[in-house]
Amino acid sequence: MAEKQKRVAFGALGIFIFLCIWYAATTLTSLGKVMPDPITVLAGFFTAFVEPIGTHSMIMHILVSLRRMLIPYFFGGVLGVLVGILMGWYKLADAILMPYIQMIRPIPPIAWIPLSIVWFGFDEGSKYFLIFLACFFTIALTTYNGVHSVDETLVRAARMLGAKDNQLFTSIVLPTTVPYIFSGLQVALGSAWATIVAAEMIRSSEGVGWLIISGQEVGNMTQIMVGIMAIALTGLLITSIMRGVESKLCAWTVRGK
Amino acid sequence: MKDKKKFQINKYIFISILSICFGIFVWWLVTDGLGIFRSNALPSPVKVFESFIKKWYETKPDGATLLEHLIASLQVALGGYVIGAVIGIPLGIFMAWNDKIDMCVRPVFDLVRTIPGVAWTSVMVTLVGIGFLSKALVIFISAMVAMVINSYSGIKQTKTVHLWVGQTFGASNWELLTKIAIPSALPMIFTGLDVALGSAWTTLVAAELLASTKGLGFMIQQARGIFRLDIVIVGMIVIAITGAVLSTIIQWLGRKMIKGGRT
Amino acid sequence: MANKEPKVRVQNLTKKFGDLLVLDNLNFEVEEGEFLCIVGPTGCGKTTFLNSLTRLYQPTAGEILVNGIPVDPKKQNISYIFQEYSSFPWLTVEQNIRFGLEIKKIPKEEADANVEEMLDIVGLTKFRNYYPSQLSISMLQRVAIARAFATKPELLLMDEPYGQLDIDLRFKLEDELIKLWKKTGTTVLFITHNIEEAVYLSQKIMVLTNKPTSVKTVLDNPLPLPRDVVSEEFVALRNKVTDLIKWW
Repeated sequence: MAEKQKRVAFGALGIFIFLCIWYAATTLTSLGKVMPDPITVLAGFFTAFVEPIGTHSMIMHILVSLRRMLIPYFFGGVLGVLVGILMGWYKLADAILMPYIQMIRPIPPIAWIPLSIVWFGFDEGSKYFLIFLACFFTIALTTYNGVHSVDETLVRAARMLGAKDNQLFTSIVLPTTVPYIFSGLQVALGSAWATIVAAEMIRSSEGVGWLIISGQEVGNMTQIMVGIMAIALTGLLITSIMRGVESKLCAWTVRGK
Repeated sequence: MKDKKKFQINKYIFISILSICFGIFVWWLVTDGLGIFRSNALPSPVKVFESFIKKWYETKPDGATLLEHLIASLQVALGGYVIGAVIGIPLGIFMAWNDKIDMCVRPVFDLVRTIPGVAWTSVMVTLVGIGFLSKALVIFISAMVAMVINSYSGIKQTKTVHLWVGQTFGASNWELLTKIAIPSALPMIFTGLDVALGSAWTTLVAAELLASTKGLGFMIQQARGIFRLDIVIVGMIVIAITGAVLSTIIQWLGRKMIKGGRT
Repeated sequence: MANKEPKVRVQNLTKKFGDLLVLDNLNFEVEEGEFLCIVGPTGCGKTTFLNSLTRLYQPTAGEILVNGIPVDPKKQNISYIFQEYSSFPWLTVEQNIRFGLEIKKIPKEEADANVEEMLDIVGLTKFRNYYPSQLSISMLQRVAIARAFATKPELLLMDEPYGQLDIDLRFKLEDELIKLWKKTGTTVLFITHNIEEAVYLSQKIMVLTNKPTSVKTVLDNPLPLPRDVVSEEFVALRNKVTDLIKWW
């Protein structure tokens, strides 16, 4: 399609203009004293794949951060979906658990960092805990909203036709809820990524967040920008993968497109 | 029938209250009650409540009262937030309205938005040093990103038929934007204000944990260093309440401003 | 009538979407004050036709002249009533009706008078401060009609405005429309797939062909107003139009 080609062309132009402004700002003005130009940053980024920064190469930093994020993301997701469905379906579970969720959710996951360090030490444990918190509440609540959005008349119609609870669940509740779950997973992914970066910046010895903070400590702006680039690209990659999975699995929803 | 329903709702509220009471009781039991956790691992609810009261007038151990920390945090958060909104909303609207600008700026913006606000802390600290400005700049970026995304999609969701009505009446491009697209995007813009507030507040806490000499994030980080977990929890509670109150204000404002029963 | 310029003159109107030819060389004229109904088989591009007429879609070829000059909503007083519900949800009934008047910068006193008149005619005076979300579907469509008539348009385009209404409401609104048309002397182009509606309302009926759309024929509708849907002449004309539309 011509429209698509136009889009790509303008997009490339946009990025090119952005890089030009960046380049001009750093080479022509005094900003260059503190900020490296884009070529240096790009070169630094690719060099980092072969020459390690600290004890790891770039790919290892990214993988370490991803592992820290994905393991608790998985558990937070599974548990969040289960609790969300439980609360959505059973009023009693709703009444018991909802007050806790409502009380704990307004606390930003990042604010748990000091407590998690005391409870789980400086190692992986505290990071897993944080990411779990960052994912669990979001996913539980969106799932809960999904179950609540199920059309009452559909449920009544199915009941009248003699559907059992488990049939109701698989044929009505689940299809309605899945798009909600995905939107929750999507939001949680973004917030998990932000949280892991923050957690690594506060205490770690490797990972993309560490790249930035160790750059700050020695005043190496190039390393900071390389770290930011790694964060942006990895973030973009995982959200695109998530969106791809979503559009495959929920082809019937508008959100999936 | 109606009474029965009312009774049902009351029953569940009662269960909720009971559930909370039970939770606090268990918390008390494992700390003060049976002494399973010491106060440097999990302070008792009584202790947290005491510290909460005390911290309003005591500057120990971090050099400022709770109110001073709160005001310091609010200043930075709201400063960055307001500037982020003032720049982000028009930028999002403009991007959505102008196709060519949209196609140019979109990819750059999509890349920037995946960078969590905290990550900018290092850049800003290196550029302008630790202080009000670096934090405000970081918050400005994270608030602005959320504002741009939401006002952008608000404008993009304008119904074609509404624009057609304007066009067939002979409205100019500017009138189409100000009389149709913006009013119809208003609910999304307010969603953006709410989301941006959340992300500004979260980013602030992170920035204060990392680089600060005052503020709620600084307070809990300091308290953690000397194992005063009661103050850590007090700080977390105040952060949560403040965030919730600010968000409620925005939502209330939204309900006032958005006409026609749309939410 | 060669010396008198028709209200609307369409010449060689053609519209393609990519390679798909939707409108194929349409030619026709509409006289001042005429009520023309446009009927045709489902999916024959009636809406595309009307949208091309107002430049919502840019025609691929051909010319549309209103009063002898190329159509331009900024210069000519045109109103359009859409098939979808098009009232602005953020404006009250009164503000919705006033919308076109504000765009056209009509002086306040005149605008006020027009709005009052329209509120009265469509019977929404009591509901003037209601928002669309508080109104029923038929009221919403009446708001759209009032908004369109409030600017006293010289040309009114209607795209199946009553397509989704109950039959009794439709009759009521059709009568209202005839009343308004007689009162204002507006030229009306009314698209519908409902042949009975077309025969009931129109002075002329234009029948379109299947895609790619062209004008099959234009019929006169001389039946006197108000019309009786069960009279012999009415049924005869209705059957005639039905036969013209049949493509099976």
